[in-house]
Amino acid sequence: MLIIRRGRGESLYIGDNVEIEVLEISGSQVKLGIRAPREIPVLRKEILLTRKANQEASESASGGALADLIAQFRNR
Amino acid sequence: MPRIETSLGPLEYDDRAVLEFPLGLPGFEHRKRFLLVERPDLWPLVLLQSVDDAALRFLTMPVHTIDPAYHLSVSADDLKAIEVRGPEKLLALAIVCLRENQPATANLLGPVVINQSANRGVQSVRDDAKYSAHHPVPGPEVPAC
Repeated sequence: MLIIRRGRGESLYIGDNVEIEVLEISGSQVKLGIRAPREIPVLRKEILLTRKANQEASESASGGALADLIAQFRNR
Repeated sequence: MPRIETSLGPLEYDDRAVLEFPLGLPGFEHRKRFLLVERPDLWPLVLLQSVDDAALRFLTMPVHTIDPAYHLSVSADDLKAIEVRGPEKLLALAIVCLRENQPATANLLGPVVINQSANRGVQSVRDDAKYSAHHPVPGPEVPAC
């Protein structure tokens, strides 16, 4: 992981056309501005994690593994 | 009555039971209509079945079945998407990921939140680090008091 320190009003670039600027720092939160071409999606990490989890979940088993999971709850 | 042929059998439904998800689900933004299907043989799992794609369905479980102390936190934008204007009883379900030979996990980071009085739903992804998108289920046995 590359580590860079930036203060308010300072920027960094990823490649030639993605710019991240530190707009505001208040308490433990940083407000970031991102300039990127439309075709590059910019998402907070949790959305990406949820997208992946949804994709995996949509492919979820419906056979033995499902019966096992249900049984585990019923036997509690 | 309209009917869908699902992987768990045919499903007849009433149009009035259809839940509208104005934002779809992350990764499935174009799927905006779902049904909640409760069946005794699936309890405590509840099926979230796409109305428009018979092959698309999610196994879900109420968040409090997974973690009785779960604290639901829904952003103002998400509350607006499901037409919550005042105090409203919300249903919160975690989507379960179940794969053969792997432990089951549930997404407590982004529960599906349903406003039953408006028939609207949204997957409300938190922006804090309090819960995991891959919370093991059933998880450790909670000792009886």
